[in-house]
Parts: sequence; structure tokens; C-alpha cells
Amino acid sequence: MGADLPGGLVPPEMESSEGVEAETDAGTAPPDTEERSTPILGGGGPVLLRDRFLVDTGKPLPELDCPSAKAYAVEDRRDLSRHLYGLVCTPGLPIRIDAIRAIKDLDIRGILPLVDWDAVTWPPLGQKAMVVIFQRPMGGRVADRMARKEVKITEYDMPRRVIEPITEGLQAINNLDAPHRAIRPDNIYFLDEDMTDVVLGPFVVAPPGYDQAVLMEPIERAMAMPAGRGKGNSRDDIFAIGVTMVLLLLGYNPVGKIKDEDLIHARIEQGSYTAICGTARIPMQMIEPLRGMLADDPTERWDFNEMTNWLSGQKINPIKKRPIDKAENPFTFRGRKHLTARSIAHHFCKHPSDAVRAASSDEFQDWVKRGLDKGTISDAIKGAVQASKFHEEGHQGSDDFLVARISTILDPKAPVRYKGLSFAPDGYGPVLAVQWVRNGDPQAAAEVLAHEVSALWFTAQPRLHRELAELQKNLAQLRGLLSIQDPGYGLERVLYESNPSMACQSPFVIKDCVSTIEQLLPALDAASNSGDTSTHPMDRHVSAFIAARFGEDIHPHLRALASSRAETSIVGMLSLLAFLQWKLRTPAVLGLSSWVGGLLGPAINAYHNRQTRQELERDIPRLVRKGSLPELFNLVDDAEKRREDSEGFETAQAEWLSAEEEIRDIEGAGEERLTKAERSGQQAAAMISITIALTVVSVILLIETL
Amino acid sequence: MAMAPNATSASDGLNWNLVLGIGVILMLLSIFAFPTLMVVGIGFLPTLVAYICDRTEQKFATFCVGGMNLCGVFPYVVHLWTDDHSVPAATEVISDVFSLFVMYAAAGFGWMMFLAIPPVISSFLQVLAQSRVKTLRTLQRDIVEEWGPEVSVATDDDDGISPPA
Repeated sequence: MGADLPGGLVPPEMESSEGVEAETDAGTAPPDTEERSTPILGGGGPVLLRDRFLVDTGKPLPELDCPSAKAYAVEDRRDLSRHLYGLVCTPGLPIRIDAIRAIKDLDIRGILPLVDWDAVTWPPLGQKAMVVIFQRPMGGRVADRMARKEVKITEYDMPRRVIEPITEGLQAINNLDAPHRAIRPDNIYFLDEDMTDVVLGPFVVAPPGYDQAVLMEPIERAMAMPAGRGKGNSRDDIFAIGVTMVLLLLGYNPVGKIKDEDLIHARIEQGSYTAICGTARIPMQMIEPLRGMLADDPTERWDFNEMTNWLSGQKINPIKKRPIDKAENPFTFRGRKHLTARSIAHHFCKHPSDAVRAASSDEFQDWVKRGLDKGTISDAIKGAVQASKFHEEGHQGSDDFLVARISTILDPKAPVRYKGLSFAPDGYGPVLAVQWVRNGDPQAAAEVLAHEVSALWFTAQPRLHRELAELQKNLAQLRGLLSIQDPGYGLERVLYESNPSMACQSPFVIKDCVSTIEQLLPALDAASNSGDTSTHPMDRHVSAFIAARFGEDIHPHLRALASSRAETSIVGMLSLLAFLQWKLRTPAVLGLSSWVGGLLGPAINAYHNRQTRQELERDIPRLVRKGSLPELFNLVDDAEKRREDSEGFETAQAEWLSAEEEIRDIEGAGEERLTKAERSGQQAAAMISITIALTVVSVILLIETL
Repeated sequence: MAMAPNATSASDGLNWNLVLGIGVILMLLSIFAFPTLMVVGIGFLPTLVAYICDRTEQKFATFCVGGMNLCGVFPYVVHLWTDDHSVPAATEVISDVFSLFVMYAAAGFGWMMFLAIPPVISSFLQVLAQSRVKTLRTLQRDIVEEWGPEVSVATDDDDGISPPA
């Protein structure tokens, strides 16, 4: 399916970036920043957004770049004194449109103000891209300023000067159900030139956690692939604040030279605080707050109340040290020694074939039972292995499925892991988007739903609280949509339902960055000038996009569209497009009308009466020139006309049949016909003879009697 | 008793009432109008032959020959009735070659009619049928022109009839 996507829209350096696992150094900046950045620097002149903001393609601002979006200078034509900049988002990468809508025009302390956003034609890319405009932070990045020693923030200043405003901002956006999920040292700015106002930088231009380094994420989300880290919550943000504090205070990354995988292993086996801060000299008064913020157990981790207590100087409760569940003797898998179930589960997922062999061994099951003292888990693994052997032929017997199951049993809180994918259950949408749109291979992501891999994860949870139950329900609904193969459903529908900001990926409109339903018809109208108008404009992506974004009941239209009869399918397409134009009050779409009008042959031919067909063919160009799809639909699918045509056809059929029967009767078999004619002749001869005889007798009798 | 079913089946083809009626008439004629019976008996020999030869149920040939035969015989019968109804007069009629010729020629004309008229009638009916077929074909062509060839397709499927050329 991904192969259908037009090439050239994703810059080459993007395609190899979203790997299954990021084997890069942990650092303050995301390790694969350079690979994942999309927009290409280059000229093309200024671009106007909403007739007000001038985004200058010739003025890049690399110091304000995000890993997934390049920054450019922006000028407000109505207020030239405003300092603005725009982030050009990566086409095909879902952005956080709900968060954009939530914070737009809000002045939240501690959050970089978002001014406006829209999709504009971006000349360097040769297509439309989403541009989000922010107030320009005139003081630059806090981390850069500190590194250059232009500002000094000590451990005494840090809470009040940095942490307090951003905590306040986080609380505000958390109330808007938009956790930040992009807190890192290089995303904290001084809003003013005097470097007094500290704000959190942009967080809406990529999926939650996508731009974060492994270091910045809590361990459960750090194990997930960048796109699959999930929306998360305020506690994930507080973890990131903790790590950011460590990095800013130290001025360097204490684990910068450790590879991501090694860092994850260390965090699992030692705990995040120890793994990150273990060798560093953390100021005494920061130790307890950092323990609270970096606690691996989300229920123990600090929340906003504890943050506020700390910031206001109130007494804070120290985190109780809980030993990590470790075995006394390690289990060695592929040369690495593991002491915890989480660590071995994480490693298993990287090597499914070896993992199946290891997990099936008595040695491993014995280690789980005795070493980890988890007899129930050992039994569950044994059961999973046996079940896999029982279902050897089906997907449940595959190594990938078995490893997904075993890893979930071993570590229920870890991400869903299957065929190289790993994602938090609230991160499925972005994973599918990235795997399909950017890597061109949605197979594994589709199998997660089709084979109910995510159900394994939910089954393994000790208890399903409300959010998890809702997530489970959402994924089950997505599975239902996937199982229907008609237009408007399938994996395309799953893509748009699970990614509210995802632009329509139809080849007809992909360059137009159509992310709202209102943009679709104008984009298709424009596509009619350049696209192949001999094909159906309503491809699977367009129909799924409409089904996901249009808030009306379109099931009858989709049913007609799915019909195997060409005329019904064409009428279904026209009716859906006409419904869109009518409901959204879209102005005339001349090109699209012409495009659709040219495809109406089968619908016109569905009429039996040739005169009716000729009338339709005569009238269509007139309506095409009006650009009105509803009128075109009314003309083609007039119920009264259809009824008359159908009745007339039936009458004509009966008339034709009657004539045919009479002809057959007349022509009949040749011999029979001749016999019949001869008999008639003989009869006639006899009648003539008798008539003559009677006449003669009568005449003679008459003569004789007179 | 054993013969009874056979006797019944042998007599199936004969209408004994008719035979009896004809027998009575012939007997009465031979008593009261023997000369007429002589002329009629000889004169209607062609009709008798036609009756025997005509194996059809309708006996059109018999009627045809008989009708014309009557035209040839009846004047002589009337002559007997009005002139001299006697055996010598009847003998004279039946021994006269001319009168026999008239009677048999009339029967022969009837036979000729029977042979000549059917082909003429048949040709006439043929022309009428062709004309009707032509009209119906034109009607079908008009229907197909207005409603398309599908109008005949369903019928073809059902009945195996080819659409009109």
C-alpha cells in the first residue's frame, strides 16, 4: 500500500531515519535530529499565510529549528513590530493539531505563544506544508546561553527562574489535555532579550515524544520507537523536567557517551535516577526533588502538587527507595547478562528467533521461576510456548507473535512490541503514519490490529483504569474498521482516525496538505488540472479521509461507492462529493465537476432509454460549467426519471417479447406452415365447390319451377 | 361370449346408424324412385371414388369432387323428374356418352379445383405472413433503437432468441 505513495514528497534523508530502534548516542538533543529534519533550506521567496504573515523562505533561523521542523523568519504585515518565526512541519508527519487549536492565541506563562498556523505552498519542497507561527524567543535557547556563560543559573536560581514558570505552563496546558512531551534543554527559551522570562518551546510540530532523546523519556516510553511514545501525561513531562534540570545544572550530559540501548539497559537494571545521575555531582538540595521527578514508577513520581510544594519551599516527602526486582544470578541472552524481567523482555524483542529458542528452554523458565521468583509468569510463558506450537500454522504460531506475548507477560508496562515496532498503546496512530507514509511499509502496524497484538498488552495489565479501557476500546474500533475492505474503511481509515492531523495521502491531493475536510474539494478541483482525470478521483485515501473527517452519516454513499456495478459506484462517488459540496457550502468546483462529469458514462448508460441518455449528455456540460456537483447529481440520479425509465423499459421488453413470439409463431416450422396453408386451400376449394353446386341446384330448380 | 369383444372392435369404425339410414333410403329409392337411383348411382361414381381415395378426416376432396359432380348430375335427375321418370329413360341417360361425359367432366373439374386452389391459397397466406413478420421486425427494431439492445437480452437469456438483425 505504501508503494502507492508518490515519490519525491519525502526528502531522501527522511526515509531511513525512522528506524525501528534508534542506535544513537543519548544526548540532550535527539540523536537522529539531523536525519529526521525535513524541510530543505533554499530560496523561493516569501510565502503568505492567512493574508497576513509573510514567511520568508530565504531567511532560515537554524538557531530556532526543531528536530522535525525548520524555522524561518516571519513578518506580521499588520504589525511590523512583532517578532515572529514559523516552523515548517515535515509533510507526512502527524502534528498535534488538537494541541495547536487548544493553545492558539492563549497567553500562557511558561509556554511559547502560538500565533497562527495553516498549510501554505512551500517552494523549497514544491508542495504545501503546515507552517506554525510562534512568537520569537528573543533571548535564544537557555542551554546555549548557559553554555556560552552569557547567563548563570545556579542550583539556587533554577527552581524559581526556570522550573517554576515552565511548571506553571505545563499545568495550564495539562488542563487543556495537551501534555508537552517535548521538554529538553534545547527546547527551553528566554522569551525576552533580558533573559528573564523562561518558556517551553514548540511541542506541536511532531507526534508527542517524537523529538525526544531516549534519555528524556520515562523508561516505559523510552523503550518505544520515537513515533510510538504516545501522548502521555503530566508525569512524563515532570520526568523530562527532572532530566532537563540535571543537564542544565551539570552543563553536560553525564550519559552522553552511552549508547541508547546500553542506557536503557542500565536504567532498567539500576533505575533511571541512578543510571543518569549515578556518576555526576548533583547538588545536595536537588537530590531529593530529582529522585521524585525521575522515579521510574509513575505512581511514585512527583505530580504538580509535589512540584508546587517544592517550589514554594514546603516540606517534601522523600521517595522511598524500593529495590528493583532482580534475580541473583543473571540470564545470558546473546552475550548480554540480564537480571530483570524487563531487561530480558526488551532484549528478546530485538531478536525474535533467538528469543523463542531461549524462552522455550527449561533453563530460562527455571530462571524466571526461581531466579526472579515469579512462578506464575514462568507458567504463563510455558503456556504461551505451548499455545504457539498448537497454532503453528497461523499467525499465533509465528516467532514474532510469541515474542510479543512473552515480552508482555514478562513486562506488562513496557510498550506493545511486534515485528520491530514498539509503541505505547496511546501511540499507535503516529506509528502507523510514520511506518506507512514515511517508511512505506504499514504491514507490521496493520498486523498489530489484525492479529490483536495490542490485546495481549491489555490482557497482561493487572488492572485497566478508565484511560486504558478507553484506549482498548479505541483500538478495538480501529480493528473493526481495518477488517472492512470497502472504500472508506481499511487501513486508510485507520490511518486518518488514529491521526486527527494527518493530511490526505491520496496522490491527487498529497501535495496540497489537505488536513481538514473543507480543504478537500478545492484540492481535488485543483488536481483536476494536473492529475489523470481518466481515473476515479475518489480513491481509497480520499474516501477514508472523508469518512474520518466528515461529521455526517455517509454510510449509504460508501455502500454505493463499494458496489461492484460501475454505474452504482460512480453515482455513489458523485453523491458523496455532492453531499460534501452542499453541506460545506464549497463554492463552484469547475475542474472537479468536469472531471466527475467525464466519468459519468456508466451512470448515464444505466438509463435504458436512449433519448434520456442523449438528454443527459446534452445537459451535463451545462452543469459542469456551473461547477455544481449537487445539481449534477440531481440530473444524473433523478428518482422520478429512473422510475419512468425502468417502467418504460419493462413495457418495451414485454412488447419486444410479444412481437418475437408472434414472429416465431408465424415463421414456425416450414413443413407445418405448408401443411397448414395446403389444408386451408383444400378447405377453400371444397367450400367453392359446394357453393357452386348449391348455386347450380338452386338455379335449375328455380328454372324448372317457373 | 369370447367373440363379443372382437366383434365390438371390428365394428368400431362403422356408424351402423348411418349405414342403416342409407340402406333404408336406398331401399325406399329403389322402390319409389329407382330411375333416379340409377342415374345418381352411376353419376356419382367419381364422388364415391374420391370418398374412398380421400383418407383425410375432413374429406375436403370428397366435398370438392362431390359438389361439382352434383352440378353435372343434377340437370339429368331433374330431367327425369320433369319429363319421364322411368327405367328406360334412366337407362337412356346413363347409356348416353355425352351425359356421362358431362357428369364425369364436372367431377373432374372438381378434382382439378381441389388440386389447383390450395397452392394459390398457400401463396396468398405466405405473402400475408411475410408482411406481418416485416411489420413486427420493424417494431422490434424501433424498440431496440429507443431502449438499446438490452431490451432483447433478457428475453434471449430466457428463451434463447437471437436479437433481431
